[in-house]
Amino acid sequence: MGQYKFTTVEEMPPLAFSLESTRKIPTGSWRHVRPIYKEKSSPCEIGCPAGENIPQYFDLVRNGKYEEAWHKILEDNPLPGVTGRVCYHPCEGQCNRGPYDEEIAIHNIERFVADKNFRNRNLPRSGEFHKSEKIAVIGSGPAGLSCAYQLARKGYRVVIYESEHEPGGMLRYGIPHYRLPKNILNKEIGDIKSQGVDISVDSKIGGNVAWTELEKYDAVFVAVGATSSRKMEVDGEDLQGVYSGVEFLYELNNGRKPKVGNRVVVIGGGNTAIDAARSVLRLGKKVTVLYRRTRSEMPAVPEEIEEAEKEGVKFEFLVAPEELTGNRGKVSKIELIRMKLGEPDESGRRKPVPLRNSNFTLPVDTVISAIGEAPDLSFLPYSFLKKGVRIFVDENYSTGVPGIFAGGDSATNPNGTVVNAIRAGKEAAISIDEFLGWRAKSDGAPREIVKPEEINTFYFPHEKRVKIPRMKVDSSVSTFKEVNKTISDAQALEEVERCFSCGTCLHCDVCMTFCPDVAISKDEAGEYVIDYDHCKGCGICVNECPREAMELVEEETQWV
Amino acid sequence: MGMNDTNDLRKKNGLMHPSVDKVLVIEGTHAASHAVRLAKVQVIAAYPITPQTGVVEKLSEIVSHRELNAKFIKVESEHSAMACCIGASISGARAFTATSSQGLALMHELLHWAAGSRLPIVMVNVNRAMAPPWSIYVDHNDSLSQRDTGWIQFYAESNQEVLDTVLQAYKIAETVSLPIMINLDAFVLSHTSEPVAIPKQEVVDEFLPERKALFKVDPAEPHAFGALIGPEAYMEMRYKLFQAMEDAREVIRRVDSEYSEKFGRSYGGLVEEYCMEDAEIVLMTSATAVSTARIAVDELRSLGFPVGLMKVRAFRPFPVDEIRELAQRVHKIGVMDRNISFGATGMIYQETKAVLYNASVRPKLFGFIAGLGGRDITPETIKDIYSYLLNHDAPESETIWVGLKSGQEVRPEGGNASSAAFGQNENV
Repeated sequence: MGQYKFTTVEEMPPLAFSLESTRKIPTGSWRHVRPIYKEKSSPCEIGCPAGENIPQYFDLVRNGKYEEAWHKILEDNPLPGVTGRVCYHPCEGQCNRGPYDEEIAIHNIERFVADKNFRNRNLPRSGEFHKSEKIAVIGSGPAGLSCAYQLARKGYRVVIYESEHEPGGMLRYGIPHYRLPKNILNKEIGDIKSQGVDISVDSKIGGNVAWTELEKYDAVFVAVGATSSRKMEVDGEDLQGVYSGVEFLYELNNGRKPKVGNRVVVIGGGNTAIDAARSVLRLGKKVTVLYRRTRSEMPAVPEEIEEAEKEGVKFEFLVAPEELTGNRGKVSKIELIRMKLGEPDESGRRKPVPLRNSNFTLPVDTVISAIGEAPDLSFLPYSFLKKGVRIFVDENYSTGVPGIFAGGDSATNPNGTVVNAIRAGKEAAISIDEFLGWRAKSDGAPREIVKPEEINTFYFPHEKRVKIPRMKVDSSVSTFKEVNKTISDAQALEEVERCFSCGTCLHCDVCMTFCPDVAISKDEAGEYVIDYDHCKGCGICVNECPREAMELVEEETQWV
Repeated sequence: MGMNDTNDLRKKNGLMHPSVDKVLVIEGTHAASHAVRLAKVQVIAAYPITPQTGVVEKLSEIVSHRELNAKFIKVESEHSAMACCIGASISGARAFTATSSQGLALMHELLHWAAGSRLPIVMVNVNRAMAPPWSIYVDHNDSLSQRDTGWIQFYAESNQEVLDTVLQAYKIAETVSLPIMINLDAFVLSHTSEPVAIPKQEVVDEFLPERKALFKVDPAEPHAFGALIGPEAYMEMRYKLFQAMEDAREVIRRVDSEYSEKFGRSYGGLVEEYCMEDAEIVLMTSATAVSTARIAVDELRSLGFPVGLMKVRAFRPFPVDEIRELAQRVHKIGVMDRNISFGATGMIYQETKAVLYNASVRPKLFGFIAGLGGRDITPETIKDIYSYLLNHDAPESETIWVGLKSGQEVRPEGGNASSAAFGQNENV
């Protein structure tokens, strides 16, 4: 552009403006802090024991990419249809939206994604079996399935030994149909098999399959779960009409109808107790749950307790069984003692203490005891190190016996939930891979977690959490059909729109729009590029970012 | 009032003209909003402040009902509102904002920027007294304090004039490339409903075609606007702005007469005269006080007093020629200011005096201060002033405070018309 020279006022333009772009003036040198794109962890993904990348699969849902969203979940969890239904969703307890209005219904989105892909068999298979080592997994519950699936994806041939006639462990035999329909479980087990996992059913290690059979494998993962009910340790426990919760649910899930009378009590406060009680209702009988502490100490998922109450399950708190008495071999009375709450025990909950002379009896004809489960480890041939009733494992899930790993409810520190078993399987697979010399375990430095006050809530008007479609109580208790429904496409979209997407960039263009120096643009791949020749480090982009996916860092001072 | 009288009044007020689409009984704020709709403004950015709020409320309704295809930008301050309008206007869009009092004061820096950038932004300012003490009522200190920013300023007498002036303003602004502020009195107009003729869109479109920007931001051909320039050219840029304001006088007159042809209503350009035939004593004032003065003038005329009235419609550019011409015809000019410049006098008085110093004929000039902070200006107030003018050969002081509640005589520094003119009119 040529040189302009104005000699008179008449020649001048009305406004002073530069003759060409001022881009050649590198105002970036004014900067002492620099904005960068830096993604962080959302509290939900940290809260998810399976480590699902929730913001990323939410973004795929937001864009209608349901298959890709499913694939994203499958990286961490091969059973989203299961966990979308039965998980106690600790992710939601961590959600930053909770303190703002209501936490995101993450488990409903997970279930939605799984159900959208119910007929989809197109899994992302990483490759053929490029690793020569073979691995055995004992038990096809969530821990075993998760471990086998992850190992197959890493290129190993895996065989699962399952003592029952069908795979799934507690998912199949412990959880009632109305919470987890079998077709969902079957579909996802099918998905896992499609990755090349062999499941050998009716194969009980230490029974029809000798432990020595396992010697041909390079590694073994023991995930037999906790299937034996703990005893109440009271007189009369062997009377007719007394079931364990596990046994009762096992019968039901095998398509049989265990005999229950008209005066049914369930003892315990965990998920097994609630599952048993709600199942009794569905057999057309009334039921009372007896629990030795109060509602707030119940280990069952709070929603399940609420549902049970809505459906008509009665609760009696602060009572414990003292004795069962029978009539001609059949249970007819239960003697109970009143409790009060004392000092906190090692679980942090206040310990129940019996109140003297508070005994009373109730007439009963059916007692279901569900006070906890323990693993059956009688098949283990030589002395594994144990902690209490469980197999001792270190933080790498190693039992101490080279090549033998264990996880889930049969190993130390279980919390008795599906998702923690899935986590154990996934993490054990990484340990096994490492044990076989394949890769280092580290995923890099842990990322920062986005705090609620770091969200720019200006961008998020208050919105109600999605309302979960549910079968009416009247009809739900007359059938074992699934109670809760899958949310609709529209509901799913609304719910993912509510998500702050903490720490994950959604390419919302807020940074680009607000940059006063037009120093942010998008490259061909749609990623943001900051022109540091012109960014003055004002920080507006970082401040405006709705979801804390950017950060300001100090420039290093260079003395020339 | 009989049917024929009603129709006469309607005709007189331009409500029966063929350009009229409908007549709505609306507040002054809404008259402004309707004008913005008809002007097909493309960007609106405003921050709410009493008593301007109605302008923006109505506009937000109009935009959300898609009666106007405009970008409505919510902002965090008046400073940002004006910044948005500047950005929009420099991109070639027709932009609008509205404010009042403290909000206008907060915009001050950007008022210079808008005018210096020669952007035809139109703003409605609802005149409200400056705090402290807090007041939400009318006087004109807020807008008159902005007189040197390079904005054209109009003061409206009625809700109809608000609507008509906004439409005229876009045409004037886009012709001379200067921003325009249309002022209306708080509550007296802003919150008072009057019948307002809403013109037909197609007539407005003929009158006010799409904006053609002199220059605009174009990413394909980048320039930095409002760049730094040295002493060798700054003065010339100021001269161009000065000249644009000079040119505006003729444009304002021409646009008003064009408007009159299309819509049947005229406001005289920079000033409007009333009962000036053979008038010897004339009162100059502006805004709604003019309506009140018309009543007082009618009454005094019927009693045979040779009084007349001049409405100052445009304060910038100041009606220099009109006032000098007026000076040739009358003996005394009173100026009633609804404002006060501390350390000087009322501002219209001050400017009038300045205009007359080099004039060939210089009648006696009287400066009155009235109606500050929403104090009512009634026909009695105006008659007090005319009486003072009739009874005094020269003012007793530079500022004469009308209706001041004082136990003492406010002289000689400040004369008091009520006590001086009519013994029967006690201070209110």
